[in-house]
Amino acid sequence: MYPQPVERLVTELGRLPGIGSRTAQRLAFHILRASDEEAAALADSIREVKDRVGECERCFNLADRPLCPICEDPRRDDSVICVVEEPSDVLPMERTHEYRGRYHVLGGALSPIDGVDVDDLHIAELYARIAEAQSSVSEVVLATNPTTTGEATALHLAAALRERSPDVAVTRLASGLPVGADLEYADEVTLGKAFAGRRAL
Amino acid sequence: MLVTGVRVRDLRSYATADAALGPGLNVVHGPNGAGKTNLLEAVYFGCTGRSCRTSNERELIRFGADVARVELDVQGDGGTHRLCAALPRAGAKRVAVDGQPVDSLLDVARRPLASVFIPDRLELIKGPPALRRSHVDSLVAALWPARSGARRDYVRVLAQRNALLARVRTAGASTASLGAWDAELAACGVALQAHRAEAIASLAGPFSAHAARLGLRDGAELAYRPRSGAATAAELAAELAARVESDLERGFTGHGPHRDEISLARGGRELRVYGSQGEQRLALLALLLAERELLAERRGSPPLLLLDDVMSELDAERRELLAGELTGRGQAVVTATELAHVPGATGTEATRLAVGDGRVLSGARAA
Ligand SMILES: Nc1ncnc2c1ncn2[C@@H]1O[C@H](COP(=O)(O)OP(=O)(O)O)[C@@H](O)[C@H]1O
Ligand SMILES: [Mg+2]
Ligand SMILES: [Zn+2]
Repeated sequence: MYPQPVERLVTELGRLPGIGSRTAQRLAFHILRASDEEAAALADSIREVKDRVGECERCFNLADRPLCPICEDPRRDDSVICVVEEPSDVLPMERTHEYRGRYHVLGGALSPIDGVDVDDLHIAELYARIAEAQSSVSEVVLATNPTTTGEATALHLAAALRERSPDVAVTRLASGLPVGADLEYADEVTLGKAFAGRRAL
Repeated sequence: MLVTGVRVRDLRSYATADAALGPGLNVVHGPNGAGKTNLLEAVYFGCTGRSCRTSNERELIRFGADVARVELDVQGDGGTHRLCAALPRAGAKRVAVDGQPVDSLLDVARRPLASVFIPDRLELIKGPPALRRSHVDSLVAALWPARSGARRDYVRVLAQRNALLARVRTAGASTASLGAWDAELAACGVALQAHRAEAIASLAGPFSAHAARLGLRDGAELAYRPRSGAATAAELAAELAARVESDLERGFTGHGPHRDEISLARGGRELRVYGSQGEQRLALLALLLAERELLAERRGSPPLLLLDDVMSELDAERRELLAGELTGRGQAVVTATELAHVPGATGTEATRLAVGDGRVLSGARAA
């Protein structure tokens, strides 16, 4: 119906989460109407993010260098690691200003239905970080989402850490979070409260 | 909470219908095929956004029409509200309260609960236990809205555990996370068991009383028969762990509240197996009446009772008994081919709606 490059753009935009075919079409026409500079800036930013942004070697947060800004920051508290599912869960936690420790991003949650097993997450790397010779980790905060899969992941980590590192305290965010809500959508106040009231597992 | 008005567009045999409902007994009458059940279904659709008759909801849309619509006027403590449910032939169902779209009517606190008797529902008494479990779980949700997630959570975790068992069996996946899923399943499972036990404990007495009043002789009893006797999550987790070998062999979870039975018996014998059609029908009515009583007591307002074609199947004595149960206890809509089949139908307390030719002939509101 449209020239092939337009069809291609609509198809690609339609692959994005939450974008239906009608929205994809509207976005495509918006891009067509935009100035060359604007369109190029969008294309460049997509290319750049893929070229330059990868995973932090230590915590698997987003990073455009070997280590992410949080791992590089010498003022952060090395004795606490907060475990989250996705890099997008780090920012809401940071916004609460309640937490000054480090992070560990699992890259998802256990979900046999989706074929996600223990080995598919950055779990072994978490154990390694804690077991490291000069590690001073004394607490691990499990901040996986309060969903079925997030809960199971927390339960699994808690049991495994109790066995491997009995000296490390394992805590879970208090359930100030609405049940079933993703961390990403939790507001700062509830998340801050959840942090303050975390409980031992 | 009362449904005071029903407006129907393009639903089943109705191109358009506009009827006022009374606060007590409403009798929908007309010959076979007149549209009695269709009107009842329309009221149910307005209350819940679902059909009580079919899982293929598109059947509701009148032949040749594009969108089936029902609007209900509902009178509650906080004034009157308008519930609207619309089902297009193509595209998604739309539901709204006072003109504001909502995701689902089932989550709307100020909607009237509807309790429905249609002949198909006898399956609840004589069919497999899964139907009774899901019915009791929806009663739990109606009694305690905050607990409505218990069943959903359990089902989700169960599906994950089963997926893991299947992956271990067929793809050689590791069992490393099985303990975590057991712990979570057990936590959700004991919660679900406790809710079921509490709901059934409250319902058992009223059920026996209503059954006796409807003339179901020899003592009818409702009882919860949980699969597991575990009282704590740790106990249930231990039971799951003890059965893991056979679970792995089969590739699914064989133990837990998804295997619970809810028993309805008379004289110590299961109605599901030994009850006559008539006894099963009385048991279903007694169950719905008991639930209505419990909901009226706990939530302060009884559900709207929708009874389709029930009178024609009862003998004269039991019609009187049932009519006695219906008067003065909240709003009910009853269908019958003959007004004479519904004791009290001609009284001043009752509202009569004659239907035929795809229209509400009398009792219709002037447009
Ligand atoms: N989607 C539909 N569109 C139009 N008519 C329908 C539709 N579904 C059912 N009907 C008609 O409704 C009539 C049955 O109405 P119903 O309410 O079941 O009768 P009764 O009064 O016996 O309960 C039948 O004539 C049937 O053809
Ligand atoms: Mg009928
Ligand atoms: Zn990092």
